[in-house]
Amino acid sequence: MALNPLYDDIGKGFVQQYYAMFDDPLQRPNVANFYSATDSFMTFEGLQMQGATKIMEKITSLSFQKITRVITTVDSQPMFDGGVLINVLGRLQCDEDPPHAYCQTFVLKPLGGTFFCAHDIFRLNIHNTA
Amino acid sequence: MSSLPNNIDYDYLMKFLALGDSGVGKTSFLYQYTDGRFHSQFISTVGIDFREKRLIYTSRGRNHRIHLQLWDTAGQERFRSLTTAFYRDAMGFLLIFDLTSEKSFLEISNWLEQLRQHAYSEDPDVVLCGNKCDLHDFRVISHEQAIAVADRYKLPYIETSACTGYNVSAAVELLVGRVMERMENAVANAELARLMSNTRLNAINPQALRMVLQKGEEPPTGENVKQSCSC
Repeated sequence: MALNPLYDDIGKGFVQQYYAMFDDPLQRPNVANFYSATDSFMTFEGLQMQGATKIMEKITSLSFQKITRVITTVDSQPMFDGGVLINVLGRLQCDEDPPHAYCQTFVLKPLGGTFFCAHDIFRLNIHNTA
Repeated sequence: MSSLPNNIDYDYLMKFLALGDSGVGKTSFLYQYTDGRFHSQFISTVGIDFREKRLIYTSRGRNHRIHLQLWDTAGQERFRSLTTAFYRDAMGFLLIFDLTSEKSFLEISNWLEQLRQHAYSEDPDVVLCGNKCDLHDFRVISHEQAIAVADRYKLPYIETSACTGYNVSAAVELLVGRVMERMENAVANAELARLMSNTRLNAINPQALRMVLQKGEEPPTGENVKQSCSC
């Protein structure tokens, strides 16, 4: 597979689509479609999960109703297997909580004519581990 | 910004944490205490916040100048369990639940378990606060239920409203009194004494240090440390 020259558009497009779905409580269960049943990994605040089922268990266990988000940057790189590496820097606000900065990294892998999310790493930017 | 080199004009620095489920009103509670106002929102990007206030505690005819730091989770507990680092150096805890939410009430035992694991002592000073007592019509936890739980865990209980300000100061002052009592009675309390003197040395964490510096204060020096703890 060759480098995908559209990596930047793919990265930005994915991020927009993913969060639009994630942030809408009614559509949130559909983010399952981005993940593979077996070949997707998620690391959420240090907790590791594999496969769409486990990933969705984590996502649906989050206790907020409303989430709003401001994306600061989306940086993408093409990968030699045709995939795309994406790093998101942003802020989110759950219900009436104060906003938090966060970063999230995705790796998209080509599958047929489309992509699936093979890797997903999420962290709030909290520096209290002194 | 005043930059007097010796701005440390207090006897004790006390760090308290507000704990409890998301949505019980921790942030509003602390805001009400420090600013005397109810905020439904505020802006922050640091993820963990503290508010500060000075007060005088009088005991045995002596005034003690206390600099209170009230730390808030800012909702991070929705995403992650709070780590030991978060509990580090805290001398007292405001455990807040929402009188209109049974779930937040049932979670009290889990929060106390977290405290036993992570706090400086297995039996730290905790004040249990039933918040949102202004919302009479939505209340689902009775005074008797709350008292029963407080008795079971041997905690002082107080009903508060971060919205109206009712009992907010009383709750914090109750906790200050508890911590001061523990300290005054405590030759045996090496853990707390260590905590009180360490706080000055470490300034809690680099972020806290930075915030202190932004206020134009000096980082703690050996001389300041001596003043911070008279025990």
